[in-house]
Order: sequence, then structure tokens, then C-alpha cells
Amino acid sequence: MSNHATHITPDQSVFTRLSGVATPGATAGIVLTALIVMPFMLGGSWTFTLGLCFANSIGVLAVSLLVRYGGEVSIGHTFFTALGAYSVGVLDTRYGISLWASVPLSLLLGVCFGILFAWPSRNLHGIYLAVTTLALALAVPEMINNFDSLTGGYEGLYVATPLIPGVSMGMQRYYVALVMLVIVCFAVARLRLSRQGMALLLAKTHPAAADAFGTRRVWARISIMGISGGIGALCGATLAFSGSTVSPGGFTFWQAIFLLVGSVVSFYGLSLPRVLLGGAFVTLVPQLLSASGAWIPVFYGLALLGMILLGHYMPRIRKAMSRNSEVS
Amino acid sequence: MTFWGSLVYDLFPLIWSGMITGCLYALGALGLVMIFKCSRVVNFSHGNVAGLTAFLVYGLSSGVLMSLSWGAAVLLAMLAAVAIAFLIYSIISPVVFESDLTSTIATLGFGLIAQGVTLLVFGADIVALDLPIPRFAMSVLGLLVTGYDLTVLVVAIVTIGALFIVIDYTKLGIAFRAISENPFAAEVCGLNLKSVHYFAWITAAILGVIGALLIVPTTFLSVTTVATFMLQAFAAAVIGGFASLPGALFGGILVGVMMNLFTFYVSPEYSSTFLLGVILVALNIFPNGILQKVGGARV
Amino acid sequence: MDQLTNALRGEGIALSFGGIKVLKGLDVEFRAGEITGLIGPNGAGKTSLFNCLTGAYSPQQGTISYAGTPLNGLSPAARAAKGIVRSFQHVALCPDLTVRENVMMGIARNCTAGWLSAFLPLPRGRAERVEMAHAADAALIDLGLPDVGDKFPGQLPPGMQRLVEIARAVVGKPSVLMLDEPAAGLNNSETRDLTAVLRKLASTDLVMVVVEHDMDLVMSICDRIYVLNFGEFVAVGNPEAVRNNPDVVRIYLGSDDDE
Repeated sequence: MSNHATHITPDQSVFTRLSGVATPGATAGIVLTALIVMPFMLGGSWTFTLGLCFANSIGVLAVSLLVRYGGEVSIGHTFFTALGAYSVGVLDTRYGISLWASVPLSLLLGVCFGILFAWPSRNLHGIYLAVTTLALALAVPEMINNFDSLTGGYEGLYVATPLIPGVSMGMQRYYVALVMLVIVCFAVARLRLSRQGMALLLAKTHPAAADAFGTRRVWARISIMGISGGIGALCGATLAFSGSTVSPGGFTFWQAIFLLVGSVVSFYGLSLPRVLLGGAFVTLVPQLLSASGAWIPVFYGLALLGMILLGHYMPRIRKAMSRNSEVS
Repeated sequence: MTFWGSLVYDLFPLIWSGMITGCLYALGALGLVMIFKCSRVVNFSHGNVAGLTAFLVYGLSSGVLMSLSWGAAVLLAMLAAVAIAFLIYSIISPVVFESDLTSTIATLGFGLIAQGVTLLVFGADIVALDLPIPRFAMSVLGLLVTGYDLTVLVVAIVTIGALFIVIDYTKLGIAFRAISENPFAAEVCGLNLKSVHYFAWITAAILGVIGALLIVPTTFLSVTTVATFMLQAFAAAVIGGFASLPGALFGGILVGVMMNLFTFYVSPEYSSTFLLGVILVALNIFPNGILQKVGGARV
Repeated sequence: MDQLTNALRGEGIALSFGGIKVLKGLDVEFRAGEITGLIGPNGAGKTSLFNCLTGAYSPQQGTISYAGTPLNGLSPAARAAKGIVRSFQHVALCPDLTVRENVMMGIARNCTAGWLSAFLPLPRGRAERVEMAHAADAALIDLGLPDVGDKFPGQLPPGMQRLVEIARAVVGKPSVLMLDEPAAGLNNSETRDLTAVLRKLASTDLVMVVVEHDMDLVMSICDRIYVLNFGEFVAVGNPEAVRNNPDVVRIYLGSDDDE
């Protein structure tokens, strides 16, 4: 009767190696170096796409974090990404305020709305919470279109104010996304070592034990939803800046599912390479398959199933292989 | 207009049509609940698979794929739905016994595939798919009752009645109830969990097809119509407690009526937000479903 | 006298679930400096009483107090803050945390570093983590587990996991330590190690309560024993008196088959 999506494999060493909860610094360092020099080797359109990859990686991270630290699955994170994206979009187009002010605002809004959502749903777990987040995702496009005086309705908003005046906008869109992603990954890696992070992990696996040592369940739920909502909003803010446009099409119910697919594809990893994998999946698959749109959902579905079945059978195959090697 | 006048002209017809739609939500919700009750999986592919089969009925009867009669097309589509449900459960069954949340995510994958296949075969066009029923309308106590309304009502009552009889009196139905109560004890007693799960998944698929065929005439058929319809069914299942069949029935009718009243009296533009609010409120006040508090659910 | 004033007391504790009386007005006193055993056949109400004392259940009647301070209505977390800690019948260690980190959770509630320290490498949070790690290592050494800090709980045998759990309970220097079936699932040699550790832990100002099935363990470590059957105490006294009590003998001989 386990409700924890992550608490599945009995093989702890495999689990921790796969998890990415502890960041292997070296891999992240190599990946990061490669990404810093990337724009000098690629064309403008690829630089733009990579910027979106970074932004989506942050969103994937927000979903994975909720799974890892909260044991809960969200199908509604577009609510938070929309919140962040429209904070940036509205401040930019209506008031000409750049990221310096709009990113902190979107973080604040994301955290606040994460908590606001967590409070009424604090007693919901597993599937019940997932269905509730689904309802949250469905309400998003409707809200955007109904506030069209602010959000520009279907047409959306165009973000053009640079963060640092004078520097090429293409470069800014890339590097801002990269810096945001690195900061968020770093902060999440720190969380793993903090007492709050450890308390959340204990509360996820053994709520009664956490309770006995001073961590209340409701605190754990509200904290993790606040953090995850905040990171989701940062994803939206980055998407708005790097993608230059904010429109309802980016925050549909399907987009929320794609974020979850990205999270599953990266095995709910929290390290930089892992979330990049998820973000790249979410960004690149629609681009590569754009000529044949109908294949996109099929491909996503197959990838999702493939990863879940792989996660199911891999520990078994590994065990069988190690048994064989012991025999021979 | 006087208060009473508006009541008769607006409220009663709204409640009536809400109840008709609610019956359809209940059909969808019953399928979701059947699957959830025994296998603890929320089947997110329910809407998309039902949509695909509705398209199959259209394709088989309109000449896109074949030019069969409506009845033959429905029969073939039902068989396809059963086969799809069988396939889906066969693929995810090893995961079902491991983690209910992971297998729930897996059903999202099947939903995506079903949607993609629909797009690939039938395209993104909007088509019309009507029921072969006589068109008439009559006035009963001031209410306008159409042939469609009566068809929905009769089909829903017959289907749901048959379902409850199967669950209450057949061997498979009793096994289903036993496994829903306590899967471990039921397995120890020699019941085959998997065969009961198959029963639930296949029954749910059939209910889904019936619901889809009945809802499509009110609008039109597109890739997302049935999936959207199933989302109301989700709300109905949640309000009913997700583990109670009478709760699903009650929840469906409640959602149907409430949505109708909300869109008419408040705003049609915030219906999804309203649904979110209803779900949150319902889950907080009735964490085990609306019937649990009122009188205790039977099935 | 000190050991009497710093006692965990329950007076007239009554608990029922839907009409079934699980505890029928119990008076208990767990004294500091003693190891008190709580035994009885399955379904006697041991775990229910335990849960009332730790705050997981709230009894319908009766008062629970520690050193004269009433505890009724306090959550498990609030009782933990007063130094009343427990272990769990089924090992409740977090598999994602190392052994050291699991033990650190026993004192995490004393930390004051805020959310900013959780995400940024600020000196305050780091210093607290180092401090907690030292305390955790010291507790692990006390329990005879000097080298397992960096391992994950899943890599340890069940006996060691149990000791890690006890380390988590004692790292915060509790005033009341409640152990729920500490020997469950342990083999003989592991139980012997546990016995030695529990004896070592006993001190003049610590109230230690052990709920246990293993008679040998209870008889060898406890100073006083409460025997519970059908929600009532059948016998109270030192191991010798309890062992010779005819009612106790009857209960245990009578229920031998289903143990």
C-alpha cells in the first residue's frame, strides 16, 4: 500500500546512485563548462533553443523536487510557471521593469501561491493530490484568458527589456537561463544538507517518526509546496525572458504533463546533468517532431512508459546480472 | 420577471439538463472508480481512450475507414475498447503491484499515445457524430424533454443498474468487492487479483465508450472533446470519494447540476476554476466522499 | 526523591475505540533512573498505552504528566521538545539520509538556522550542521557503532538499524526514552548487544520505558515491570515478583500458542 512513487527500489545503493540527491560535482562541472562555451560554437537558433532547455529544466526540477522531498506528484505545475512568466511579462511590457525586480517578485508569488494551494490540500496525499493539481492546471488557461487586460489574452506578451543594457539580447537570453538554472540546482543541492531538507525527507518516508522528532506533517507539506512553487515560478520567469514571448499556449494542461514526463525521464533527478536531460526532453522533442505534430504525444507517451518500465525492470535485470557474474 | 417565474423558466430546466449531463459524468466516474477501487490506479487514459473509440465509431460508420451500420460500428469499437483496456492493464500490471502512483503516471503515457493515435488516424478536424434516435421534444410539467434526454436517461439507468447487479450478484462482482475491501485477504483466500483487475479495467472501458457516444451529440467530436468531458468525471469521482460507486453516481449528477447553475448564474468563463474550488472544498469537508458522511456507502 | 519527582505519570488513563475499551483507567508511574518494562499478550493494550504517553493518541480520560507538568493535549512534536522521545516498532529511518544524518534528526529541532541557510552556504547553518554531526557521531559511538555514519540505513543489518534508531532517540539527551519493541526482528546475538547498550544508557535522571515481547530481555534489564492484559494491569513489581505471580504465569502459559 505504498503511496510513495520514489520509495520503490529495495536496492538502496542503486537507488542513491540513480537519485542524484547528492550531486556528483565533477560531472556537473564538466557539463557546466561545456554549456558556458556553447554559444560560441553554435548558431543563434540553437543558442535560443538551449536557453529554453535551461528554463524547462528548472520546471522539471520543481516537479522532481516535489516527488523527492514531498513524495507527491504534481500534474499542475504550469500554474506556477504561468505565474512566474506573467510576472516577468507584465512588469516588462506594462511598466518596463527588467528581471532585477520581476524575478524576485515571481519567486515570491510562486512561494506564496504554493503555500496557498498547500493549505487547503494539506491532508491530501498521493492520487488525491495529483487529481487536485490536475484541476489547478486546467484552471490556468482560463484565468489567463479572463485577465486579458493584464495578460494580453491569446496574443500574449513580448519580453524585450534587457537585463544588462547594451549586451546582445540573444546572449542574454542564453546566459540568464543558464545562470538561473545553476543557481537553482546549487540551492537544491544545499537543501539536501540542511536540517529542513533532511526533515522533509524523513517526513516523506516516516511521517510518524518525523512528528516524534518535531517535524509536523503540515509544515512539511506547506514547505515543500512553497519551495516547489517558487522554483516553478522561476522556471516561468526564465521561460518568459529566454523565450521572449509569454502566451497561454505555453501553459496548457499538456505542458503540465510534459513537465511531469520530463521529470520521470530524468528519473526524478535533482542534479544539473539530470535535470538538463529532462529539460532537453521537454524542449527538444516538440521541436524535432514539429513537422509531424501528431507524433509528439505518441512519442511522449512511449518515453514515459519506457522510463517507468525501465525503472521497474532495471533493478531486477541488474540483480540477475550480478547473480550471473557471481556464478561464473 | 417574478422570482417564481424565473425559477420555473430557468432553474428547473437547468437542473434537469444538468442531471442529464450528470448521468454521463457518472458513467465516466464509475469507470474511474471501478479501476481505482480494486487496483488503486487513477486511469488518466480513460478520456483519451474513450475519445479514440468514439472516433472509431465515426470512422467505421461514416466511410472514413469503412461504411458499416451504426450498430456494427459501435460493436467493433467496443471490442477495440476492450482490447485496448486489456493491453493497457497487461503492460502496467507489474508496476501496479509496486506503486500506485507510478502506475497512475504510466496511464498518462497511454493517454498521450491514445491522443496521438487519434490525431494520426483522424486528424485534428471536428466531426459530427449523432445517435440514431428519433428526434422529438415534449413538454412535461413545463420542462422541455427531448428524445436525447430520454435516451441518455434510459441508457444510463440500464447501464448503471446492470453494473450494480453484476457487482452485487455475480461471482466476479463479489470477488471485485472482496478485493476492493482487502486485497491481501482476498488473495490469500484464493482470488486472482489480476483477473478481477482485468474485469474492472474492461468494464470501465465499456462504460467510457457509452459515456462518450452519449456526450458527443451535444457538441461535436474532436481530439479533446471526450478528454475534456472525462475531466468533469474526475471531479465527480473525487466528490464521491473516489472509492465509492454510489458516490460516483451521486457526484456525477451533483457536478452536472452545479456546473450548469454556475455557468448560467455566475460565469461560463470560470468553469474550470469553479471545478477546482469544488474539488478542494469537497476533499476538505468530505475527505472520504460525500456519501460516507451522510449515510455510509454500500458498495 | 529525585527519581520520584522526575517521573512520567499516568493517572486513570482510559481509551476506547468505537465502544471497545482498550485501556480501562490505568495508573502508571515510570521513575527516573529505572528501566520500566511494559509487557502483556498481543492485544493487551501495550501499544495503545505507549501511544497515549507519546501523544499519538489522546485518551478520553485521565492525565499524563512528566515531573509534575501535565502533558495532555500536547502533540508528539511538543512532547519531543520536552525531552520525551520514542523509537518505533518498525524501523523508521529515512533511506535517503545517511546513518549520521538520520541520527542528526534527533536534535534538528534545536537548530535555529532559517530557510536562507537551507539554500545558501551561510556560516550559521554550516556551523550547526557540524555541531549536529559531532553530536550524532558521539551518540553512534556510545551505541557501539563508530564506523557506520556514512552508510545508508539499507546497507546495515536490522540489529544495527535498531541501534541507529535508539541513537537518534538519545542524541538529544532526552529525559524520557520510550522504546517500542526494540528487540523485534533481531536475532539472539543482536538482542544481547541491545541489552548491553540499554543497560549502559540507564542513568539516574533518565526515565526508560520498554514495551517488549522478548521475556528474557525484559527480565534481564528491567527494574520494574507492568503486566497488562485486556486493558488492565495484572501485576506490577520487580522481575522476580512478576515471574512468580500466578496470574502472569497463567496469562503467558495460556497464550503461549499464539505468541
